[in-house]
Amino acid sequence: MKRKNLFILLTIVAAMLLLAACGGGGGKAVVERAYDEIKYDKPMSVVAPNCDYGGKIKSIEATDEFTVKFTMCKPDPAFPAKAAFTPFGIYPQEWLKAYANAENQETLLSAPVGTGPFYLENWARGDSITMKKYDGYWGDKPAYGTLVFRWATEGAARLLELQAGTVDQITNLSPDDFDTVKNDSNLKFLPVENPNILYLGMTNTFKPFDDVRVRQAIAMGIDRQRIADNFYPDGSEAASHFTPCSIANGCAGEDWYAFDPAAAKALLAEAGYPDGFQTSIFYRDVFRGYLPEPGLVAVELQTQLRDNLGIEAEVVVMESGEFIDECSNGRCDGFYLLGWGADYPHITNFLDYHFGSTNPQFGNPFPEIYGPLEKASQIGDPAAAEALYVEANNAIRELVPTVPLVHGASAAAALASVENAHVRPFGAPIFAKVNPGKDTMIFMQNAEPISLFCADETDGESLAPCEQIVEPLLSYAIDSGEVLPGLATECTPNADSTVWTCKLRQGVTFHDGTKLDANDVVVSWAAGIDASNPYHIGNTGAFEYYSYLWDGLMNAGE
Amino acid sequence: MTDTNTTNENETQDYRSNSLGRLTMRRIFRQRSAVIGGTILIFLILVAIFAPAIAPYSPEEVLIGKEDVSKREGPCIHLLGCDEEKPQHILGVDGNVRDQFSRLVYGTRYSLYIGFTSVGFAIIVGTILGAIAGYASSWPDNLIMRFMDVLLAFPSLLLAIAIVTVLGRGLQNALLAIAIVSIPVYARVVRASVLSVKEQEFVAASRALGGSHFHILFRRILPNAISPLIVQGTLGIASAILSAAALSFLGLGAQPPTPEWGTMLGSERNQVFSAPHLVFFPGLAIMLTVLAFNLLGDGLRDAIDPRLK
Repeated sequence: MKRKNLFILLTIVAAMLLLAACGGGGGKAVVERAYDEIKYDKPMSVVAPNCDYGGKIKSIEATDEFTVKFTMCKPDPAFPAKAAFTPFGIYPQEWLKAYANAENQETLLSAPVGTGPFYLENWARGDSITMKKYDGYWGDKPAYGTLVFRWATEGAARLLELQAGTVDQITNLSPDDFDTVKNDSNLKFLPVENPNILYLGMTNTFKPFDDVRVRQAIAMGIDRQRIADNFYPDGSEAASHFTPCSIANGCAGEDWYAFDPAAAKALLAEAGYPDGFQTSIFYRDVFRGYLPEPGLVAVELQTQLRDNLGIEAEVVVMESGEFIDECSNGRCDGFYLLGWGADYPHITNFLDYHFGSTNPQFGNPFPEIYGPLEKASQIGDPAAAEALYVEANNAIRELVPTVPLVHGASAAAALASVENAHVRPFGAPIFAKVNPGKDTMIFMQNAEPISLFCADETDGESLAPCEQIVEPLLSYAIDSGEVLPGLATECTPNADSTVWTCKLRQGVTFHDGTKLDANDVVVSWAAGIDASNPYHIGNTGAFEYYSYLWDGLMNAGE
Repeated sequence: MTDTNTTNENETQDYRSNSLGRLTMRRIFRQRSAVIGGTILIFLILVAIFAPAIAPYSPEEVLIGKEDVSKREGPCIHLLGCDEEKPQHILGVDGNVRDQFSRLVYGTRYSLYIGFTSVGFAIIVGTILGAIAGYASSWPDNLIMRFMDVLLAFPSLLLAIAIVTVLGRGLQNALLAIAIVSIPVYARVVRASVLSVKEQEFVAASRALGGSHFHILFRRILPNAISPLIVQGTLGIASAILSAAALSFLGLGAQPPTPEWGTMLGSERNQVFSAPHLVFFPGLAIMLTVLAFNLLGDGLRDAIDPRLK
């Protein structure tokens, strides 16, 4: 009797092992799909008619099942750094074909399918996003089964949840809570190394900001050190340049104006405003590493503008989405408080994004700034590009499209029991590499994602969950900006970096069970970069990162 | 109210030597809650009037670089053993390094201003509408009161938020919104009293003597219908202050750097645990003011509302 039981038990165990072995072998669809797999037969490509559209990308072609060739209009040495960025994630072409259209937009935006270590199980709107471990993942599989994203706007609320142990990791610790976390043995303090900048934006199409003397007066009339000292945690600094010094060539050129209220007042008087003027300071009440306490900094600037320059500014808080939409499109008549956290470790991410010829956020762009930037972005060696960045940085200082204020220090926190808890200088934490010591890891961020189709999103709250689900060709290291292999094992340039050839990893399957091949890469990129592509449908359809990082979309028309 | 008999005796005794006003005052003074509420209110009014003398700093003065204090520093009172070297801030400093006590003192002005003006406006409009409705009956009554019912159908704070959204944020607009929202309450009260008063003999007498409608309504009826309005108004001030604080807390009312209590609460709401003094004291101030008006209102009702006799 006993022997028979043992035999049955052994049989069951053997069967389970066999099942587990098969299941772990990959290729199993974990996400239901309503479409057939398209086998790789002929290579696909997307080609711009010519390079006159001003963008960087001439063509993207599959050359064989696992090779994709990117041909550039102009040399682009920053290609790997950019291609590792989440908005350039790879989706199955079958999925895009099925859902990248107006009727199925809701599915496109809310149920992404990728190759990442987690697949999306459920997005309970207003509450949480649940992801499950993907057993068919090509890399190291997560040590636990469920990853949950939650959100709370208030710093105090996030910390309270962490202290209560109801979440395992939180972002954006309030500066006042730094010591609380450091002194709590149950919690781990995680300083964020992300280079960032807080700036005071002005739109030069509105009076009186159209006068360079007014802008220069404001540049001199704000005591930026005082802001950094009083409203930011230790490790923050008043910005000497728009780009932080930790980025190559970031600090090329002259330092920003010294604080000189007398000279500023004189300049303002010369421009015809001896008694200042009336305006507004717009901001959104959203916590960012570059702006931990928006309300306080806005009121501080209000005080400084009044005391130093006689400018009476009304403080106006706006809803986040509306604020970004209005101010980044150059429609904010007044000052606006906005910032930037680096997406990838290259100076182009700071300067080209903000001062490029297509960005209207400071009003009319200045050729004196974007001229040298466009030339410099084609040079791979930072030392060789230095002279051009000196020119661009000095032009920013001279023309003052905006006033760089502070490079802020920020921090996150996790339970001490979470193994390998980390924050990355670029991008969200890689939760597949974390071990919460139980089966569920709960991460709490600032806000709910806008959508989960990240090719057409820009905000960090959307990109963070996307990063767990969808992978780009390359990836960033956990502790630096170093570019590592991702879905591509390597991307190699030709001699003048006008052609980048990426070799894809073989045997990678998407969550829907389809296999990754070169055509998936071509179709995913084409959906973003080609404005005439039938799949060029996203949340707003702006595909901002495709547009800004590659200097514009193909076939955009006028 | 156990000694109703004595009260009545006293009233009869003093009847000849006292005017109606003095009689009412005496009744009010017998209500303990009215006395307590009134005392607090007088104290608050004095604080508001003499704010510049009481507050050691200007409410908008940022102390960075002027004194050795850092943002959100807790209270420092020399008498209670705080280091003499340090500047005294009896309620601490706020997130923008301003003296919290001075801001709180000046905030009294805004709260009282909000309470009196918004309720004043609502009473004037509400009284006129209610009086017309009550006196005229038939279609003007229906028209006015159904419109008031519509206003009452909305949760008042929600309606105020909607109005502010349309008019734009700011203290004045918040005031107007609160006033509009509270009109129906006064209109109803006035209409009810007008309805009961207008059937009395002295009104009929006045009409028989050939008094005009205007004369009858505003000289004969209204003065005799006003006491429930006073009670309702006093209580209404309390809720107006509360609504204004709520609007400011949400960022729709007074804008920074105005030292309004709701705004102060709202801007430091994240610091409940790290700097409790910044949330506690403005909250306490709001509570005290609202309590004062509520106590006074309750006392007044007990003393003068004819419906309770």
